[in-house]
Amino acid sequence: MRSIVKLGIFLLIVAGFAGFAISYVNGITDPIIDNQMEQNKLASFAEVYPGADDVKDESSAYIDQTTDPLITSVNIAYKDGSPAGVIYSITPNGYGGKIEMLAGFDIETKKVTAIKILAHTETPGLGAKAPESFFVDRFKDKDTTVPLEVVKQEPADGNKILAITASTITSKAVVSGVNAAREHFANNF
Amino acid sequence: MGLGKEFTKGIVAENPLFRLLLGMCPSLAITTSVANALGMGMAFTAVLLASNIVISALRKVIPDSVRIPSYIVIIATFVTMIEMLMHAFAPALFKSLGIFIPLIVVNCIILGRAEAFANKNSVAPSIMDALGMGVGFTLALVVVSTFREVLGTGAFLGHSLGNLSANSALIFILPPGAFITLGCVLGFLNMLQNRRKAS
Repeated sequence: MRSIVKLGIFLLIVAGFAGFAISYVNGITDPIIDNQMEQNKLASFAEVYPGADDVKDESSAYIDQTTDPLITSVNIAYKDGSPAGVIYSITPNGYGGKIEMLAGFDIETKKVTAIKILAHTETPGLGAKAPESFFVDRFKDKDTTVPLEVVKQEPADGNKILAITASTITSKAVVSGVNAAREHFANNF
Repeated sequence: MGLGKEFTKGIVAENPLFRLLLGMCPSLAITTSVANALGMGMAFTAVLLASNIVISALRKVIPDSVRIPSYIVIIATFVTMIEMLMHAFAPALFKSLGIFIPLIVVNCIILGRAEAFANKNSVAPSIMDALGMGVGFTLALVVVSTFREVLGTGAFLGHSLGNLSANSALIFILPPGAFITLGCVLGFLNMLQNRRKAS
């Protein structure tokens, strides 16, 4: 009995030291990590909607129960004090799991400005090519009034998006995400 | 055994991946690129070094009956620290290694060295053991990932190798390629060993 208490106290001490050490390192790294994530977020916002003076997260005003669940946040980009663009965070389901991505829209021209894939778990060499410019650039300047469509062959004009070779599921997932944002954009802006 | 020998045994005679066949799971998963292999190898070495030092220093304090939980707590602490430091100072590497950093906790090589070596030796040999095992594991990862990256994507450390990239065999960076590559490397090493024995 006494030995159990002794061993328990020993483990308690070990765990206590571990806890102190981890919280110390966390205290040092946490602000750096936060700062970095914030910078990353702003940098990727600027990539999908360049030239904004300020970007504000206004999800609470635009997301309700009827909103497509693929949309996770709605950020408004301001230019000279008035809303000029909308940046959506969307998480469609790809071949290997959720794809985290951003899609930017211009309020004046009603067109897609750019999309960016932030994180994914697609197959290396196939779907993992999706973040590369050859694919994401296919979304540039697409019209927002009609849904985008995935095609496997040229011509990919109008609202057609040419799929990545051998990665139709990934391509369709990205397009479904952009479509969800596009629909929300068309209805709200 | 001298300190130098404690170091070199981890690289050749007791190479954790090629000879002891430990730590297979992360090895199969992260060897898709040489950069990943180097990153994983460094993170692994740092954790093993820290845990070997602490465990060998405390080997007379830790009661025998709770040594395994104590080791796990010590190892997990260092892994969590490395994870946070990597996230803060090497975000790109952190992103590409993903889930395999926290999984260093259950990497059997680290617990294996704690139990088989640090537990019975003083601090200095334990440091050499950790460095040797770390270098050995890193080298093994680099060997496997070099084959996979060159054959699978036609690039080395992200630099395209001209003609090769047009004729790359995708299967090498997919999961089956990991088994094929590791199997062939192990087979080759066994063949060398058998020859040496025969002669």
